[in-house]
Amino acid sequence: MSLSWIFLGQLDSIEPMSTSKKVITREEWERKLKDVKIRKEDMNKLVMNFLVTEGYVEAAEKFRIESGTEPDIDLATITDRMAVKKAVQSGNVKDAIEKVNDLNPMILDTNPQLYFHLQQQRLIELIRIGKVEEALEFAQEELAPRGEENQSFLEELERTVALLAFEDVKNCPYGELLDVSQRLKTASEVNAAILTSQSHEKDPKLPSLLKMLIWAQNQLEEKAAYPRINNLSTAVLEDPTI
Amino acid sequence: MPASATANRPEELVERLGVGGAAAEGEALLKALREVKNQIIGNKTKKLLYLHLGAVPRIVSVLASAEGGGDAALIVQAAAAIGSFACGVEDGVRAVLDADAVPQLTRILSYPDEKVVDAGARSLRMIFQSKLTPKYDVLQEKNMKFLLSLLYRENENVTELAASIIAHSCERHEEQKALCDAGVLQRLVKLLGGPLNQRDACLESIEAIVRNNSEVAQKFACIDNGKALSSLIELIQDRYPRTRLLACICLIAIRHASPCYVQEMQIKTKLILILIELLEEPGKAGDEAPFALTNLIMDEEELHKQAISINAVEKLCNFFYKGPIEARRLQGILLALAELCSKLEKCRSQLISLQVLNFIVDALKHDCTDVRTAACSCIRNISRSLKNLSAGHLSSETVVVPLVQLLHDESSSVQVAALGAICNVAVNFATRKSVFIQCGGVSQLVQLAKSMDSTLRLKSVWALRNLMFLADRKDKECVLMELTVSNLASLICDSEHPIQEQALTLVSNLIDGCGDTFEHAFAEDSAIINALTRILHSASSPGVCMQGMFLLANIAAGNEFHKEVVLNCLVPPQPNGNNPSFIIKFLQSKENLLRVASVWCIVNLTYRDGLCSSTRVARLRDAGIISQIKTMVNDPCLDCKLRVRMALEQCMDFENSEHVH
Repeated sequence: MSLSWIFLGQLDSIEPMSTSKKVITREEWERKLKDVKIRKEDMNKLVMNFLVTEGYVEAAEKFRIESGTEPDIDLATITDRMAVKKAVQSGNVKDAIEKVNDLNPMILDTNPQLYFHLQQQRLIELIRIGKVEEALEFAQEELAPRGEENQSFLEELERTVALLAFEDVKNCPYGELLDVSQRLKTASEVNAAILTSQSHEKDPKLPSLLKMLIWAQNQLEEKAAYPRINNLSTAVLEDPTI
Repeated sequence: MPASATANRPEELVERLGVGGAAAEGEALLKALREVKNQIIGNKTKKLLYLHLGAVPRIVSVLASAEGGGDAALIVQAAAAIGSFACGVEDGVRAVLDADAVPQLTRILSYPDEKVVDAGARSLRMIFQSKLTPKYDVLQEKNMKFLLSLLYRENENVTELAASIIAHSCERHEEQKALCDAGVLQRLVKLLGGPLNQRDACLESIEAIVRNNSEVAQKFACIDNGKALSSLIELIQDRYPRTRLLACICLIAIRHASPCYVQEMQIKTKLILILIELLEEPGKAGDEAPFALTNLIMDEEELHKQAISINAVEKLCNFFYKGPIEARRLQGILLALAELCSKLEKCRSQLISLQVLNFIVDALKHDCTDVRTAACSCIRNISRSLKNLSAGHLSSETVVVPLVQLLHDESSSVQVAALGAICNVAVNFATRKSVFIQCGGVSQLVQLAKSMDSTLRLKSVWALRNLMFLADRKDKECVLMELTVSNLASLICDSEHPIQEQALTLVSNLIDGCGDTFEHAFAEDSAIINALTRILHSASSPGVCMQGMFLLANIAAGNEFHKEVVLNCLVPPQPNGNNPSFIIKFLQSKENLLRVASVWCIVNLTYRDGLCSSTRVARLRDAGIISQIKTMVNDPCLDCKLRVRMALEQCMDFENSEHVH
């Protein structure tokens, strides 16, 4: 986090006037920013950390070669993890479950919520391809017992099964369950669980850094009008509003 | 899975498992194992199904037959399946233990293939997390050597396993000492620098070794000239909540075991702060934080004050407003609040003013036994406040009725806890005991006073005694009618001394105040007096004798008839041989209060108020009681000395008047 501390150090030297907000022009701001030193190695580490945590194996490998940055976990373990994530994202949940169990059988055994969500995803996939009878049988045999063990699971199960009652499944009240975003959500959950089991942090550092930036800007907003970065993806400085 | 999988019906799958006979081999066996494993992981229903089909011994036999090599893939699947059976299902653990899986799994730990080692270590870890698994005997040298060898392996799963086995297996001092002497603590401290999961496992291990063992705790604190202790202190501020929690628990254990460490107020305050912050964490770390907090501050008023000064009470109470709380966490919060209220009035007032009493009362009706018990403890401690009792905060129907309900709870620990709360709540200075009586509380208490369980008997009699305290005549009669004189008499003769004491105090409270309640002491052929006489003759515990004598002294303050009865008690009309009166022994007792009570009795008996006083004095003199009192003119206890003089003055009057004739 050395990046953000340097940035805040600079903020300290700005003296706000007692009543009105101080105004800082774009030129002034850019001048001050030029003086802030960031190390290349730190940025590389951030990028590597992001690639590794999110599971972009090939990119991480390439980046390692091109930048000389060492990843903080063994890239081989990422491959297994990515196979699981990919399986969920393409709707092959049974395959994903088998892969997770090959990787570490304790994960699903000690994570009832994750196990339930994976089974729920299986049910959603069956409903998606219209296999109504199979879906009902699956819900009965695999999911109903989980619902008995836990009230919140039961509620989620009921919502999922309700999909079967609707003609136009995509536009019904729980239609978002059929969305790709649901698959991504489940995939993300599995990813996090695998990382945790490997003693690795489940979140990359980059989002925290950006959150810090937004927070610092908001704090400064109360005392000064200055060029803000409003669009994080472009990181363009926008002129201060007066 | 549905129709298409007939080839994979559970019974058929199980048939294929095992060694020899109809069992499959090679690839087919591998497939079957993998299929079963994938079905059971995370799925309790399937585990039970395959358990009942006898899968476990078959799978263990596959492991056993792969002696010295064998197919790594088979071993991995078999080991993983066994571990899963042992996860979260008691019957599974039993089956795995019965099938002798542990030695097989231990054997594969020394295989060259890392995947095999991982599988074995994980499964063993699962098995050792169950309470049903027998402890690993660390007192045996070869076992200790093996354990140490595991701790020095490079494999994270193996070191975590070793830490788990240690945490599971060291209870007694000898075991803790053996581990300490073997250098296990040093190695665990070293491993604290490793990956997260390993670190957490080591923290749990360290706590288990030092717990309640001052010698081992001292040795730990001296490791690396105190550096080990410093690393723990650093870890309480780690970024991971679970690590912070475990590090706190470790430090608390060291402190309790050997109070000269972790004693500066600064570190203790830090611990309180961190644990209170941890309350905000979702998940297990937050659930367990209040338990650690309670443990930290237990019985230490200074720490209670510290906690209150950093708003612990408010922070704990805030949770009530955030919506339904999961059972374990709720129990923790209630216990923490109960501990904070146990000594300090400030806390109790704060609790009432934060208006969370209704949440606590709601918890009395919770499904979980532990939550109900904790809620009772909370109410008991809040009601230690005389202010709250007088203000009637705790005597309304909303509080009393659920408490009384708990008197017939299915769990006896809940009953005991409820009794504790009722004991206090019943000491109600506002004479509105009627709420309690109306909702059937008395009959419940009377029932429990006949219980076989002596704790239940004791607490219910105590509650009845408190109920009688300063009650009005109507209420007293109501209680006595429910309890009956004969029950009361048998309670006075109870086999347990504390119960005898409470029963006697109950009678004292009963006859206290208005004159006609005296008559109850004589009801049913003086059943109560007879019982009292009996136990005073057998001279049980000092506490009982004191209560008994005070009771007699109070009765002796009554009319002539009452005095006569008391006198007959002390000095029976038909002398039983040459046995001196029990009061003489009491007058010679080391216990100040017992002497004082006995002299008061004599004071009341020799009070010059009527014709019969002289005969009473004469009888007392004949029994040698007066001469005994004469020897106590310079009793070391001031109260006693004064009463002795009073008694002797009254007796002298009679002597003088006799001579004067």
